[in-house]
Amino acid sequence: MALLEVSDLSIDIAGIKPLDGIGFSVDEGRILGLVGESGSGKSLTALSIMGLLPLIGGRVERGSIRFDGIELTAQPEPALRRLRGRRIAFISQNPMTSLDPVMRVGAQIDQVSRLHLGLDAKAAAARSIALMERLRIPAAATVYHHYPHELSGGMKQRIVITMALSADPDLIIADEPTTALDVTIQAQIVQLLMELVRDRGVALILITHDMGVVAQACDHVVVLYAGRVAESNGVKEIFAAPRHPYTKALIRCIPRDGMTPGSLAGIPGSVPSVAKYPSGCRFHPRCPDVLKICPEAVPPLEPQPFGGAVACHAVAARVTHG
Amino acid sequence: MSAEATFTPRRADFRRSVAGKVLSTPKGAIAGAYLFLLVLLAIFAPWITPYPYDAQNLQVASQAPSWAHWLGTDEFGRDVLSRIIYGARTSLSVSTTAIAVSVFVGMVLGAAAGYFGGLLDRAVTTVVDLSWSFPEILLALILVAIVGPGLHSTMFAIGIAYLAQFTRLTRAQILSLKGETYVEATINLGASHAHIVFRHLMPNALAPVIVCGMLATGDAIILEATLGFFGLGAQPPVPSWGAMMSSGSALIFKAPWIIIFPGLVVAISVIAINLFGDALIRALDIRASLREV
Amino acid sequence: MAEPMRDLVQIRGLGKTFESRKGLLGESRRLKAVTAVDLDIPRGKVTGVVGESGCGKSTLARLVVRLLRPSEGSITFDGADLQQQSNAGMRRLRRRIQMVFQDPYSAIDPRYTIADALLEPFQVQGVRLSLAEARAKVDELLDMVRLGRELASSYPHQLSGGQRQRIGIARALAFRPDFLVLDEPTASLDVSIQAQIVALLEQLKTELGLTYLFISHDLGLVRYFCDRIVVMYLGRVVEILPEPRAKPRHPYTRTLLDSTFAPDPTQRRDISRLTGEIASAYDLPAGCAFAARCAFADETCRAKVPELMTDAFGHATACFHPLN
Repeated sequence: MALLEVSDLSIDIAGIKPLDGIGFSVDEGRILGLVGESGSGKSLTALSIMGLLPLIGGRVERGSIRFDGIELTAQPEPALRRLRGRRIAFISQNPMTSLDPVMRVGAQIDQVSRLHLGLDAKAAAARSIALMERLRIPAAATVYHHYPHELSGGMKQRIVITMALSADPDLIIADEPTTALDVTIQAQIVQLLMELVRDRGVALILITHDMGVVAQACDHVVVLYAGRVAESNGVKEIFAAPRHPYTKALIRCIPRDGMTPGSLAGIPGSVPSVAKYPSGCRFHPRCPDVLKICPEAVPPLEPQPFGGAVACHAVAARVTHG
Repeated sequence: MSAEATFTPRRADFRRSVAGKVLSTPKGAIAGAYLFLLVLLAIFAPWITPYPYDAQNLQVASQAPSWAHWLGTDEFGRDVLSRIIYGARTSLSVSTTAIAVSVFVGMVLGAAAGYFGGLLDRAVTTVVDLSWSFPEILLALILVAIVGPGLHSTMFAIGIAYLAQFTRLTRAQILSLKGETYVEATINLGASHAHIVFRHLMPNALAPVIVCGMLATGDAIILEATLGFFGLGAQPPVPSWGAMMSSGSALIFKAPWIIIFPGLVVAISVIAINLFGDALIRALDIRASLREV
Repeated sequence: MAEPMRDLVQIRGLGKTFESRKGLLGESRRLKAVTAVDLDIPRGKVTGVVGESGCGKSTLARLVVRLLRPSEGSITFDGADLQQQSNAGMRRLRRRIQMVFQDPYSAIDPRYTIADALLEPFQVQGVRLSLAEARAKVDELLDMVRLGRELASSYPHQLSGGQRQRIGIARALAFRPDFLVLDEPTASLDVSIQAQIVALLEQLKTELGLTYLFISHDLGLVRYFCDRIVVMYLGRVVEILPEPRAKPRHPYTRTLLDSTFAPDPTQRRDISRLTGEIASAYDLPAGCAFAARCAFADETCRAKVPELMTDAFGHATACFHPLN
């Protein structure tokens, strides 16, 4: 059984339904890439899993989120609080705003183990420093006493990751953890996350828009478009044989070695705003393979014969005919 | 090449315009109506007051409100209501003129300081910060003491007292706008300083400063009333709310209406200005820019 | 060696130092944003500049279009020394040198309509247009960047980020410049929109015979789009690749390349060798700025700054122990 199973997740925020029918699963020791451009709903998905929708005035309208057999959508807030930080950890995009600027970073890491594992001050400090060293933070004992503003962006992100690991979670959700960082630092952080997954067996949901990071780090990929899953598959299959027209177009948008000049085309149009989602398949106005049925019916997410799942009428038509 | 999503222009919609937004809130509408009424009364005072403001009638001195005198009479038998309406003229004209001039001068100084920076900026900022540290009433009292009492000195004092606010606000606006990419882009096109300041910086800086000026008018009315209370404002027989309150204070137990009604009008007017200004800030969505003074 | 006229822009010994003072009487700190940059930008080609935070690429861009004045060095555009220009002369030159900015969301005055924004270059340059001419110009510019003519009367907030960036490009093209400096023009845009804009830039380059200086942190994009690649680190040029596929010789370029993940899971990189943080530009070390992070650094590297040496193929490297 997968550690986390999301099925048919739909949420409602003030009458708008930004997520509709989201489904995917994550296994221990695996990295799932949740990919999409702006407005795709990837951050909202993370918030939903963490049970933080009420913070933005939203709620789960239907669907289920099962974590280690526990149905998260049915848990009261105190139960969710026990899970957050302890078994499900969250790393947000901007390390600048995740850290309390008036508290030393060491103390912030200690907070996690003291709260969730009941350690006393000394034990927590020792544990925090040991973790910082594991994460290759140089001079960890000194950095422990620093304030966030004394650290670089990459270092701050490592601190945030240390906090996430402090209570030994089973699942980490990282929302664009490297977007705000320089390229060479980004590579180090990605490397770090991959090692953590390998050594500790945590499951990682990596939310990103960067297909390069996905190719480098992920085992499995879920592509989101305008609040729905377009396609999901193993990473090799997604890149070698993408099936959904959006996935295909998205991969063609990324400059890579060997591309002839002039072959980079982009996808015509732009991502629809939440208030004005197209009817039926939300991608149909921009789709090169659009059929008559596309604006009329929402394509269901169908498992495919050789693995993966695609939500597309054109693909479904080909499968039944082929 | 790529077909962008088709675009439909937004129709002008009163409900969504600034005036619409302000007037659709209860406080905006009520405050706005009150202020409008006040201004009308002030403008048409000679035609609508039941009695001239200086008509003394000692036989009916210090009388409580009655049908003949809706708000009673003062110690000289003058109609309180008429004096309050005429007093509106004084208060409004003094405050708005003083603030208007102050806003203008403040914007010029603040824009110059913010745009050119350097020595000019340091000089202006130092002077402004110095005057900023004095309470307005103290500044006003000192200035009036030097120049002598009267309407003109009141205007002068009020103008100087609030200058610091507008200079600082404009300077802050200009400084933050200077860093906007579109300013860089315009410099890049080859624009002159004048073009940048008058076409891009000032128009975008205007809204918060205007609203601040409006709120300062409320303060200025109180300041004018305070100066009037001490006899330093408009000289008798020109009525001013502050002077009315001052002479009414002697009879506060015997004829409380002489001090209460002008006081009430001052309070309500200032509250109305603040409420209206608040609604305006919300409608213009400039709360953030007003924080950075 | 290249003939002088083949290069549109020649940069020699360019440097820019920023001074900031702590408080009124505090000590001042000096930030050497750009140091000793020698660079030629050939006509009709796309020259890319890559680097991470603090490398000075944005400062370099602004120096080239004279939004900033150099502390030292010179910039020559088509034979004209930019330092020697009068105000009027510089204004005329701005018809030929233009810049496209990174942030489309703040690059247009929110109070201006699109038509106003497109006509502003003419207004600023003192070119009077009749109503009919103005309308024609607006239409022409919108067509050039493949936008619908009906957008002329809308406001920036009604347009998407990609559309706004096209307006930024259209404004820069108002006078048909020869040279366009693009400062991370796609960094704030989604991948699919980024690709649209790059495709547009490619077409415009051919149609209008433009020369580009393309600033970016995205090495993958630069390798696709540019003919030559300049790599900067902490204010200095450390390598110039004469063509995108040239094998990097400077260890930093190698690091940058290794950190740029290909969108291909079969080409995963081994990034175990990457270490260290980027130094602060306020406290530049004495020798090579990259020495602290370099696996091959020795005493020479820490003591002296390596010079940029160019070989016969136009490949320049500033390193005492170049790779390959």
